[in-house]
Amino acid sequence: MQNVLYIPVQLAVMLLLAPLVNGIIKKIKAVSQKRKGPPVLQLYYDFYKLMKKGTVVSETSSWIFRAAPYIYFTAILTAALFVPVTTVLAPFSVTGDMILAVYLLALARFFMALAGLDTGSTFGGMGSSREMMISALLEPSLLVSLFIVGLIAGSTSLYEIMKFSVLSGITILQPVYFLIFLALWIVLIAETARIPVDDPSTHLELTMVHEAMLLEYSGRQLVLMELGAALKQLIFITLLANVFIPTDIFVQGRGFLVTVILSLGFYFVKVVGIACVTAVIEINTVKLRLFSVPNLAALSFAFAFLGFVQYFVIGR
Amino acid sequence: MNYGSLLAGILVLYLAGAFAALICPRNVRLGNTLSQSFSSMASLLGIYLSGSLLLQGPTRGLVYSHVLNVPNITITVTIDSLSAFFLLALSILTLAVSIYSRGYLSHYYHQRNVGLFNLLYNFFILTMISVMTSGNIIFFLISWEMMSLLSYFLVVFEGESRENQRAGLIYLIMTHIGTAFLVIAFMLLYQTTHSFDQSQLHLWVDSPVKNWIFIFLLVGFGTKAGVIPFHVWLPYAHPAAPSNVSALMSGIMIKTAVYGLMRFVLPMITPGYEWWGLAVLLIGTASTFLGVAYALMEHDIKRLLAYHSIENIGIIFIGLGLSFYARAAGNQTLCALSLAASLFHLLNHTVFKGALFLGAGSVHYATRTKDLEKLGGLMKKMPYTGFFILIASLAISAIPPFNGFVSEWLTYQALFANLSSHSTASQLLSIVAVAMLAMAGAMAAYCFVKLLGVAFLGLPRSRQAAEAQEVPGSMKTGMGVLVMLCLVLGVFPRPVWVMLDAVTRSLLGQSIMNGAQGGFFYIYFPLETTVSALSPLMVLLAGILLFVAVGLLVKLLGGKFGQRRYGTWDCGFDGLNARMQYSATGFTKPLRIVFRGLYRPTRELRIEEGASRYYPESTTYLVTTRSVFEEYIYAPLISAFTKLARKTRFIIQTGSIHDYLIYIFLTVVALLLYNGFNN
Repeated sequence: MQNVLYIPVQLAVMLLLAPLVNGIIKKIKAVSQKRKGPPVLQLYYDFYKLMKKGTVVSETSSWIFRAAPYIYFTAILTAALFVPVTTVLAPFSVTGDMILAVYLLALARFFMALAGLDTGSTFGGMGSSREMMISALLEPSLLVSLFIVGLIAGSTSLYEIMKFSVLSGITILQPVYFLIFLALWIVLIAETARIPVDDPSTHLELTMVHEAMLLEYSGRQLVLMELGAALKQLIFITLLANVFIPTDIFVQGRGFLVTVILSLGFYFVKVVGIACVTAVIEINTVKLRLFSVPNLAALSFAFAFLGFVQYFVIGR
Repeated sequence: MNYGSLLAGILVLYLAGAFAALICPRNVRLGNTLSQSFSSMASLLGIYLSGSLLLQGPTRGLVYSHVLNVPNITITVTIDSLSAFFLLALSILTLAVSIYSRGYLSHYYHQRNVGLFNLLYNFFILTMISVMTSGNIIFFLISWEMMSLLSYFLVVFEGESRENQRAGLIYLIMTHIGTAFLVIAFMLLYQTTHSFDQSQLHLWVDSPVKNWIFIFLLVGFGTKAGVIPFHVWLPYAHPAAPSNVSALMSGIMIKTAVYGLMRFVLPMITPGYEWWGLAVLLIGTASTFLGVAYALMEHDIKRLLAYHSIENIGIIFIGLGLSFYARAAGNQTLCALSLAASLFHLLNHTVFKGALFLGAGSVHYATRTKDLEKLGGLMKKMPYTGFFILIASLAISAIPPFNGFVSEWLTYQALFANLSSHSTASQLLSIVAVAMLAMAGAMAAYCFVKLLGVAFLGLPRSRQAAEAQEVPGSMKTGMGVLVMLCLVLGVFPRPVWVMLDAVTRSLLGQSIMNGAQGGFFYIYFPLETTVSALSPLMVLLAGILLFVAVGLLVKLLGGKFGQRRYGTWDCGFDGLNARMQYSATGFTKPLRIVFRGLYRPTRELRIEEGASRYYPESTTYLVTTRSVFEEYIYAPLISAFTKLARKTRFIIQTGSIHDYLIYIFLTVVALLLYNGFNN
């Protein structure tokens, strides 16, 4: 019963919640600037509208440009299967772990960057080049962070890591977890193209990274690209929410359905909370120069490495 | 069938391949076809022989031994599980390369001696086989030297150009320095064991020279493997050689060095020699990062791939170092796991790097250029080659569901297991290795997005690229075989795992099977370690299901407006042209700036002004990066050496034959005296 429910619940929660995060962030930003801002659900309306529209494909492009949105979206969706939104439902079987999830995201990125180059436009190449650089700089701190939480939990499976966190109380209060949390937060910001690394709300030629690659997309292909990006953001948020702020300990000992609903409720609150904090950070920072991003990446790696040292010298 | 006669069959077929051109000296085409067919058949036999040996469990079979009248030399051919695994990797690659060569060599017809090429080619493969199967150290060294010399002739086969000759010379010098170190190591070894028999290696006693033997072996084999800092020959030799030879050299020849380390160093590791493993791990980590970092800056496809060989040999060395360390530390499970990870990556690298070099050869065949900046838009002109290179690129960037991911996953697992070991140094090195492996994976993806994006996508940047045509069928087949294996090994890693189990059981007496046992046919079983499991097949199936579901859903929800083709947005200028695209140089610029300390780039912008400043006649932009190793290690060494040589020319080597005769006479006298006193 549990195993059967895992996949539909996981996919439904992820897909439905992903655009909402962006909506919340936009709303908070607008309010802080004394604007009314778009409705929180605006992205859903946009997706619906874009879905109904036709697509324009560049004459220069090859099949890669047309296939890329599907591969991008599917790869991220598959990666989402390995980052559970709740630990009360056991995954169908242990067939993959965090390393797989990270490399599935790499598959998505690979095709997005190729699509950027496929149209022969300058912007696409610019976006791809920058995106690949940023990811290369942040990959070490992402994997080192995951390895350390994995080492503490004794497994590389994210489900096992999250279950271990549930048993260890509010893990973020422990020094090791706190340091890793900071490292991963920076990765979240950079990987999901948010300020201060990239500005998702402009199409300013000289600064865009993520948007530059999507410039030639339209219609349903654009929906897949945008929804995929939102999903990727939610994957990182889920990671932060369930490994560092485990709440499933509070919902145990009730009926099965109640447990699941309560657990998802807590998850929802955590996601909204993290979205709010992200928005506040965005309000209070400015976009960095592209070549200051390495410093940010170094900071992230320094946090992860300090976490490692902390764990081995003092324990968590 | 008897394995000995199978091996004899392989030998005969390769010899037939070598001399096939003599059958029909007038018909080059027929000679080449015959020759490559013979070597393909030999490869098939090789796959059968090694595959069946590995699947029947651990073996240490003596096949053939011939005692010569010369002391210490016996021609001993043995195939144990380790040899069989290397033979398998070699045979898979040579099968594909031989199929490919039938078409590829056609551009040499009536220009160069294809018969001579095939002679060298087949003998080169034979000497590699004899390196992998020799059971006697002297015989090993002879095979090793022949392998190096034959590959030198193949490297310089393509031309008399200065560049080519220089590449060959660098390769020849480096490989001989390596061999010299090996000879010293084996002589030191003979001093302690008094035997040249490879099966006696585990009897090596603890002696003060043991550390020296290791260092000499590491330098000797490391030179052939091309690890940092002995890598300087690789980026010269690979681009100079014909592409099928590059595929063989990068795919399997540099791996013979890994074979040597596993064969000679692993048995003599005993507790107390932990630093050996850590040294190898450190070299591997450095090579992984620096290899891919230099690869990013290269715009010659084959040089780029050569640097990626350094990266991947680094990954293989990470696994190897861990297994050395674990053996010294007494952790048998980790030793077996990391050795298996290392060997798995070795096989995978053979497959995808072979495919990539063959693909680079196809691009060169079709466009006559290897320069990325002159390519573009090939995906439409050469759809098969483009698709094959795409898949192989995904595999080398360790992206699932292809084979590179499986072995990197295993390497990560080995590093993960080592993180809970009890030595701070090894934990620290492991976490650094994790970081470097992660970065190398992302940078490899960066590099291959560059290769694909610049060469295959967008608009063609030159006339050759615009007029390129797909390569002939045999070349497509050769690449196709390897690319298919990229997927098969990535989705069904289990059979390889079973074979690797035979290797670790025969070499270490330790099984790597964990959890579900099952034989060969349970290929859908996941790979399991104590902390995790990976079932690539399940992941692929889930991915395909989701892919179909997404496709259907989009169809269902999507409107009825179709797809329109229109020009790319050109910012309102009249028409997009190839020069508006990102170039390979521009694409990697961000990283060149980030790692400017490593690359030390110099820029030069030359503008020739015409009638007005604002309409320049021509603009040249030149970026060069410098190799730290060549400048700061090799250049001083070379200049010191030439200085020394100049001095000896005046003092000892005067060129007078009388002096030389005196030297010989004095040496003989000295030796006689030495022996006289010793007895």
